[in-house]
Amino acid sequence: MTQLNRTNCEEAFRRLDDFLDRRLTPEEMKIIEEHLHICGWCAREFNFEASVLNGVKRKLRQLQAPADLLSKVLSELRAEDERP
Amino acid sequence: MTEPSQTLTGNPGPGLLGDALKTTFEALFAGVVNAAFGVAMRLTRNQADAEDLVQEAAFLAYRGFGSFETGTNFRAWFLKILTNCYYSKRRKEKSRPVTSDLDDTPDLYLYARSGQAGFPTQGPDPAEELFERLGTERIVAAMARLPDEYRVVATLYFMEDLTYEEIAQTLECPVGTVRSRLHRSRKMLQKALWQVAEENGIVRADPQQADA
Repeated sequence: MTQLNRTNCEEAFRRLDDFLDRRLTPEEMKIIEEHLHICGWCAREFNFEASVLNGVKRKLRQLQAPADLLSKVLSELRAEDERP
Repeated sequence: MTEPSQTLTGNPGPGLLGDALKTTFEALFAGVVNAAFGVAMRLTRNQADAEDLVQEAAFLAYRGFGSFETGTNFRAWFLKILTNCYYSKRRKEKSRPVTSDLDDTPDLYLYARSGQAGFPTQGPDPAEELFERLGTERIVAAMARLPDEYRVVATLYFMEDLTYEEIAQTLECPVGTVRSRLHRSRKMLQKALWQVAEENGIVRADPQQADA
């Protein structure tokens, strides 16, 4: 990975997804973090994208299965078991 | 060297498990039923089909529980069966041409549109206001607009926080495919979220930006 500085925001942006998913090496993560520390534009964009990802995850995980789904499935499985 | 993985034994015949395995299966299934239903809802887009999908996957998992490797991730194993079930059902349906106006979504779509519409773009959680106004149901509706192959990957990513490797294992595809589909699905979802926000009057529709 090439060294990042103020002039290569494009390089940092190319790694946005991998950075947010923590799929970079510790060394690469550190380089991006250093870039975000000195580049306000990139820091805002990365922060917004992280906020979007977290927002979608938070909202989508609020759904609960219907209360009777577990008992329905288990009773079907038991009935299946008892079939000759 | 790692020890060879062990498979559960004691399956006396097709569709039947011994009492101990049955109890184990039921306990493991109870622990994943919410997650399974959540994923099934995103895949099928409606509750009745989601319940059917969970039921069908539970049958297959129950029958195949003898091959489940102890000590491995039951959730991932079950979700793999569930997604295979879904694909199998989809293959039986008429093939539908997949066209999407989400394909050409530019990077940072929500960031740009939020800024134009006066929503926050900075702060500790800048997208929070938009998501609170959208609410879960509309976010679900936006997810439903993604083409199938992208929606499946995005569902496993957003709902279950699976790693790229776990998603690849679940879908039996290369990690690179997961990575590229996930990248595109994130972009598509941003445009879909904005479309839903416009259609519900949460943000003002901008005809000049309609095809952006």
